[in-house]
Amino acid sequence: MKTGNCWPNPLLINLQDRVYRLNNLKTIKFMKKNSTDGIDHHWLVLKKVFFVMKLTTLILLISTLSIFANQSYSQNTRISLNLNKTSVKEVLREIENSSDFFFIYNNQLIDVERVVSINIEDQDINSILSELFDKTDVEYVVKDKHIILSNQLKDEKEQSVQSNKVTGRVTAESGEPIPGVTVYVKGTSNGTITNTNGDYSISGLSANQSLIFSFIGFKAQEIVVNKAEMNVVLVEDAIGLEEVVAIGYGVQKKKLVTGSTIQVAGESLAKRNAVDALGALQSLAPGVNIVQKSGQPGEGYKINIRGLGTTGSSDPLVVIDGVAGGSIDALNPNDIESIDILKDAASSAIYGARAANGVILVSTKKGKSGAFVVSYDGYLGVQNANTNGIEPLNAKQYMEIVNSTLVSSGAKEYDFKTLIPNHYQSIIDGTWSGTNWLEEAKNNDAPIGSHSINITGGTDMSRVAMGFSYLGQEGTIGKSAIPNFERYTVHLNSDHSLLKKNNRDIITVGENVTFTSTNKSGLNIAGIYSNNVRDLLTASPLLPAYNSAGDFYIYKDMVADNWDFDQSSVNPLAKINVNHSQKNTTTRRVQANGFIEISPIKELKIRSNAGYQFFQSDYRSYIPIYELSSDNSNLTDDITQTQSYSTKWTWENTVNYVTSINKHHIDFLVGQSVEKWGYGCDLSVTNSNSLFPGSFNHAYISNSQGLNTTDTKISGSPNTAGGLASFFGRVNYNYNETYMASIVMRADGSSNFARGHRWGYFPSLSAGWVISNEDFMKPISGVMNFLKLRANWGQNGNADIDNFQYLATIAFNSDSYYYFNDKNDPSIGAYPDILPNEDVTWETSEQLDFGFDARFFASRLALTFDWYNKTTKDWLVVAPQLASYGTGAPYINGGDVVNKGLEIALNWNDNINDFKYSAGVSLARNDNKVTRIANEEGIIHGAENVLAQNTDELYRVEVGFPMGYFWGYETAGVFQNQNQIDQFLGNGGIVLQDSAVPGDLIFVNTNGDKVIDDNDKVMIGNPHPKFTMGFNFNCSYKGFDLSVNAYGAFGHQIAKSYREFSNSPNNNYTTDVYTKYWTGEGSTNRYPAFTHGKNTNFKELSDLYIENGDYVKISNVSFGYDLKSAFKKLPLQKLRIYVSAQNLFTFTKYSGFDPEVGYGNGESWASGIDIGYYPSPKTILGGINIVF
Amino acid sequence: MKKIKYIIVALTLLFTGCESFLDTENYTKKDTSNFPSTQVDAVQMITGIYSTMNNAVNSPDDNPFFIYEMASDDRVGGGSTSNRTAQSADRMMNSKVSWFENIWTVRYSGIFRANNAITTMNNVQSWTTNGKKEQLLGEAHFLRAFFYFDMVQMFGSVPLILATTPENLPKSSADEIYAQITYDLITAIGYFPDTKYPDIELGHATKWSAEALLSRVYLFYTGFYGKTELPVANSDKKIGKSDIITYIEDCINNSGHDLISDQRNLWPYSNPHTAQYYSYAKDKGLAWAGDNNQECLFSLNFSNTTEFSASGHEYSSGYANRIVEYFNMRKAGNSESYPFVPTGYSNGPASYKLWTDWATDPDYTGDYRREGTICDKAVEMPKYVGDPSKEVENTGLLSKKYMGCGAYDESGTLYQSYAYFYGGQNDKQKGLTQSLILIRFADVLLMHSELTATNAGLNKVRNRAGLPSIAYSLDALKKERRFELCFEALRWNDLRRWGDVQQIVTNQTGQPITNRGVADTYTFGSTFDYMTRYNATKGFWKIPDSQITLSEGILEQNEGWDEASSDWTKLPYSTL
Repeated sequence: MKTGNCWPNPLLINLQDRVYRLNNLKTIKFMKKNSTDGIDHHWLVLKKVFFVMKLTTLILLISTLSIFANQSYSQNTRISLNLNKTSVKEVLREIENSSDFFFIYNNQLIDVERVVSINIEDQDINSILSELFDKTDVEYVVKDKHIILSNQLKDEKEQSVQSNKVTGRVTAESGEPIPGVTVYVKGTSNGTITNTNGDYSISGLSANQSLIFSFIGFKAQEIVVNKAEMNVVLVEDAIGLEEVVAIGYGVQKKKLVTGSTIQVAGESLAKRNAVDALGALQSLAPGVNIVQKSGQPGEGYKINIRGLGTTGSSDPLVVIDGVAGGSIDALNPNDIESIDILKDAASSAIYGARAANGVILVSTKKGKSGAFVVSYDGYLGVQNANTNGIEPLNAKQYMEIVNSTLVSSGAKEYDFKTLIPNHYQSIIDGTWSGTNWLEEAKNNDAPIGSHSINITGGTDMSRVAMGFSYLGQEGTIGKSAIPNFERYTVHLNSDHSLLKKNNRDIITVGENVTFTSTNKSGLNIAGIYSNNVRDLLTASPLLPAYNSAGDFYIYKDMVADNWDFDQSSVNPLAKINVNHSQKNTTTRRVQANGFIEISPIKELKIRSNAGYQFFQSDYRSYIPIYELSSDNSNLTDDITQTQSYSTKWTWENTVNYVTSINKHHIDFLVGQSVEKWGYGCDLSVTNSNSLFPGSFNHAYISNSQGLNTTDTKISGSPNTAGGLASFFGRVNYNYNETYMASIVMRADGSSNFARGHRWGYFPSLSAGWVISNEDFMKPISGVMNFLKLRANWGQNGNADIDNFQYLATIAFNSDSYYYFNDKNDPSIGAYPDILPNEDVTWETSEQLDFGFDARFFASRLALTFDWYNKTTKDWLVVAPQLASYGTGAPYINGGDVVNKGLEIALNWNDNINDFKYSAGVSLARNDNKVTRIANEEGIIHGAENVLAQNTDELYRVEVGFPMGYFWGYETAGVFQNQNQIDQFLGNGGIVLQDSAVPGDLIFVNTNGDKVIDDNDKVMIGNPHPKFTMGFNFNCSYKGFDLSVNAYGAFGHQIAKSYREFSNSPNNNYTTDVYTKYWTGEGSTNRYPAFTHGKNTNFKELSDLYIENGDYVKISNVSFGYDLKSAFKKLPLQKLRIYVSAQNLFTFTKYSGFDPEVGYGNGESWASGIDIGYYPSPKTILGGINIVF
Repeated sequence: MKKIKYIIVALTLLFTGCESFLDTENYTKKDTSNFPSTQVDAVQMITGIYSTMNNAVNSPDDNPFFIYEMASDDRVGGGSTSNRTAQSADRMMNSKVSWFENIWTVRYSGIFRANNAITTMNNVQSWTTNGKKEQLLGEAHFLRAFFYFDMVQMFGSVPLILATTPENLPKSSADEIYAQITYDLITAIGYFPDTKYPDIELGHATKWSAEALLSRVYLFYTGFYGKTELPVANSDKKIGKSDIITYIEDCINNSGHDLISDQRNLWPYSNPHTAQYYSYAKDKGLAWAGDNNQECLFSLNFSNTTEFSASGHEYSSGYANRIVEYFNMRKAGNSESYPFVPTGYSNGPASYKLWTDWATDPDYTGDYRREGTICDKAVEMPKYVGDPSKEVENTGLLSKKYMGCGAYDESGTLYQSYAYFYGGQNDKQKGLTQSLILIRFADVLLMHSELTATNAGLNKVRNRAGLPSIAYSLDALKKERRFELCFEALRWNDLRRWGDVQQIVTNQTGQPITNRGVADTYTFGSTFDYMTRYNATKGFWKIPDSQITLSEGILEQNEGWDEASSDWTKLPYSTL
């Protein structure tokens, strides 16, 4: 977690402090007064008191102060004191009050009751301490804001008088001594703390007694006294079982968790230098399938947990700082403290209503009491398109291929000499090889850069964390309108103790606020008709990109040159330029919440949390007048301005009561929440005839002229409003941290359903057994030090459908206009758009999960295993109904989907002297199967014309198959010769072609009837990976650190076509056309002879288009060095420089750009469709990470 | 502890207030509990029925107008090797599993909306215009009849659905459906006012269009089924020929509709922006009469404001005339294909036999309609090449009636669509705004002649075309319908009701075509006997398989489209 510096990170102190408090542990009290609860020795750690002021003033003040507060605090802080006849104790307290320093000492060794007078003006801390302890035995050491007082002399004196004494030194793994470690004799009040050199001395011991060494941020160690000198190495507690994880409305010690959850520390995310947190999570979370939607900047990810359970929204619920429904993309990864993913139903049941797809809990960085720490992380890099060697044909190859296929299919060939008279010769003699559109569009070495500053700190009364970040990224393809993405975030969290009694927070208030602003522009990467990358692949290489004047080669140039291969050809660069170079989308998002927590008695916490989200988006574009081809023109320029905003609020109240009776620990939670969304609207206007032709900066509607029905388009509509009301409760029980059980019940009411069908009830049960605590396991504890068995069951809901399905709503959309006698003026039509379904209600996901967590070799090896069976019942689905019913089908609760799987994660964590390393590998398997659809057909149909125009339905949902499976003909090779065909037909074989010739595909007549038709189509591919894999390796040596991340997916298929086969036969080809297809007997038995235009072999969807998509991506390799370890005197805590490479290698046999294809024709339940995909960039970057 | 009390109180309040907390209001849609309540609502409800006719144009592959055209003898399938449906419709081949799903869906959505309007019209309490309710009810009944007539002509018999509650019904008999159509049309005629053109609400169904449609229904029903009277639902009454003649004479005498002066002025190529550079139209002094002209009784209208849907391909809802797009030529788009500039898919080239029959028939010597209806590409646009690498069944002849037209402005800029000059878009797809004329006065006159076996209507139509009067004979009437109304989606059902389907074989087989640039002759297929196929199906099309499955077998497939029909899936030319 922390390298180089052995001094405990103040961030950790507070975290652990809370951990201990939360879990009611009675090990150490960080309090000045005598502890009343168990340990009555006086290990005092003074806490400072900060000014209690109103929230706003505080934030402002801290924001200002903190910028200066951290530059070597001890040197820069000046203190004035004027105290007469005061105890040393009071003096120390006064120093704490007027500064951020705090003192650590043992008051048995330090005489703090000594009365002194002190009068100093504007001195630094060293001068004050030197005056205060002048002529005493007290030694002091100032470590940043921490001051440790010790008494060497008294130690020695005591050593000489006491017998049965043990001495030693406590060090960290790095060898550096740790001052301030608590050392005490188990079961007694006898104890001490280590001095500035990490030395301790403790006496009055008897045989077989144990010493316990504990220090925040390190694992506590218990050692039986067996010699007089015992040196101890404390191990940092980075992934300890004592650590807590978020479980929704609370936290729980990791070793007590009975569900299947994953925690990823913010630091691991930040280290990946990913643009957003989901990208960074890719290799870190088994069972969580995260796939980029596109490699274009700012495009986001598709995410599903434990398989797809619905054709509706399959996104997991995101809860940011306790507020449901936030956006992870809007967060800077550096602002994230940790992400917890609740995968099983029992864990996520506390979010019942919307947890059917799992829950992602994000905790942003919180302030910690202690000195302010300022850190900066910044990197700059370059990115390049990862095109996997794909090349379109050049002009000469293209002419050859087109004409040879025409001739072989009995059609006339093109006379290119007359079609492109001015270019033909230069192609033939090799002076011009045609246009390589892909190459022309590449934006090589596209820059990416990020800067972020984080500040955390506080007192025991007020804690604050702030973050500011900027990220800028260009796209690697789209040179005539380079895709651009910029994100700014401001993040502010603070919490304040309003009332403290006996050092316990009685009333705490706080807030978390994230503000995100983005700018984005880019290409269209959608279906075959609006995919700019596909355009680059299909455009003719015979068309020049630029004319002699250096402008785009367009229609007028074709006319001038008599270029007439096809004057409707569009220069794809020009198309990108006119449509995408003058546009921009900006968004602003506020995610905020404020809470108050009241704890009248120690065991009880009442918390109220109110959240608010605001999202606003502006889009503006200017499309100039153009004439790109004979039939692609824009006669008037167009200005579009679109604005929208939406808001949402939540309010939740919980009561938490924790109690222990002997070894029974019970944690009760009850709560209630309400949520409303959809306050907002959008407004969009397009109009023509700019007063400032050609100027994007002036592209505002007020600068357009005239209104008319074809150019002017206006729309404005409200957001869909809705609400959710919920009640929930949870009981977590454990006996001696060995037997655990948990019960959750949640009731949710959703506005999406009719009264009487609104309320859904979501129960869960889980149990765990830490079997390694049992005596019978002790003999093997040296090998396996921890083993927990888990079992759980639960139900979650999903209500994510269009509202008003229970009413026969009347629609007034543009589909129901009619133009009686005026083609410009529609008469508005209205019609009932659905048959109402009053009974529509929740879809329920029920999941059973068994698993275990084991630790071996003193926790060096961790193994987690899970098996689950998740059934989505009453799946909300629009199932096809009889067309004769005359209107839209409503959502019905009409299907079941089963996802079954296994997850295994292995982590190894160890060090060899200074060499620390860890490696983790995770593997997840999921099988997805639809088991019921409530109509006769048992099918939900997918779209046609997806891979290419005039192609049939490619993907569908059908009972007995995975969701969105690829549907088409199976082929059994290629007819190699006429003899084979004759034999085939002679044996009663049936062909799909009108008449088969050698080189034709052998389509399989799967049902054996007299004809090959749709009834013979089968599953030809499954887009869902059977296995997903994550791999992480980290190591560090002295100041060096190296990390490697990889992820992969196996066992799934991709449907790919980079061109049209039927209606646009002149689309360009990729160079594999030469090697891939049948050219004569024996050439290949997989791909048919290549033909021009429509041909059954190509037009009919078959496994011809399906490829295995297995891949492993080395997603990140980072290498860094902390200069602080070489230059110890640097006035910084850390100065790490690093280089990092992302998407360095992709191991795959897939022939397309990028096997990580998230595109699914715009449907959440379809995926793995590659029709020209924006590949993910290969990025090389260098950065610096400074902690002041 | 006081605070806990407050919280408990707050929680209790919340719990009791939860249901109303969760009630939401729809700000963009009404619902059937409060709609329709005003006259405006009622008008919108009727408009919503009309809009389904546009929706049906989104998919010409199973639009009745397009299918009837392909199935007739006066066009061949054409298109490219991709346009299998057009070529299959030409031959009544089995094109694909769920063929006609769109028309099935869209027509039933129209029927559903009409049912809803008819059953809820009385909920409107506040009528602000006298007679509005009756006019709207008339339109609802008319449209329901129009939709069922499409369905029953296409599919023979279909479930007869008259309520808005979903019910999985089997097919009703053709007689039951015709009885309902007749009932609806008579009801509509009763509701509609006697307002004459042009004082009617242009673009709406009227008494006159209902009378004309009823005549068409009568002629098809009696001709095809060999009956003499139409049954009427909810009544023992029958409608015989004399009733129909009364209706159609009312239409002829009282509607205010009439023939316009030159038949060619019905078609957009005669519009001034196109005509000024189109010598044929310019030289003949043609002047487009526009949409909703005096001759037009009922048409489907399009819009200047069509947008592509989110997927970027389909029009949002059929507000551009995609049928024209399918007929438009390939690789046009420039001056060489002028005036038929917008690029399309070259479906439905005109039959060579139509072109030669017209020229050789002595009764039609000097008929201006021949060149006004058919474009011989070799003559009118000799430089146009097209896309020989893709076009099949290319006869070199085009229908001029439904063909997108370009235009030039003063500066010589070529526009993809003349519609640009009428506020439309300069786009090869979105600029296709030409109305689809569904009933026009010439048809009314010819139906009258046929019903009465008199020559008045026949000669009125002939005279307009510059042809002399002739005596009435059924043969003469049939020829006149073929030439006057060709490419207007009437021929196919005329052949069926006359029992003249054999002409499809005679008129199509053996005509010269080019397939992918190579000269060939048209065949139905070497092993394909068209009449066997027709007799197996009686000219009724395939009910989409998906509907049969979804009905759990209650809906039965039409004859001739069972598994055996999979023998009829092979096109005669090589798709290689």
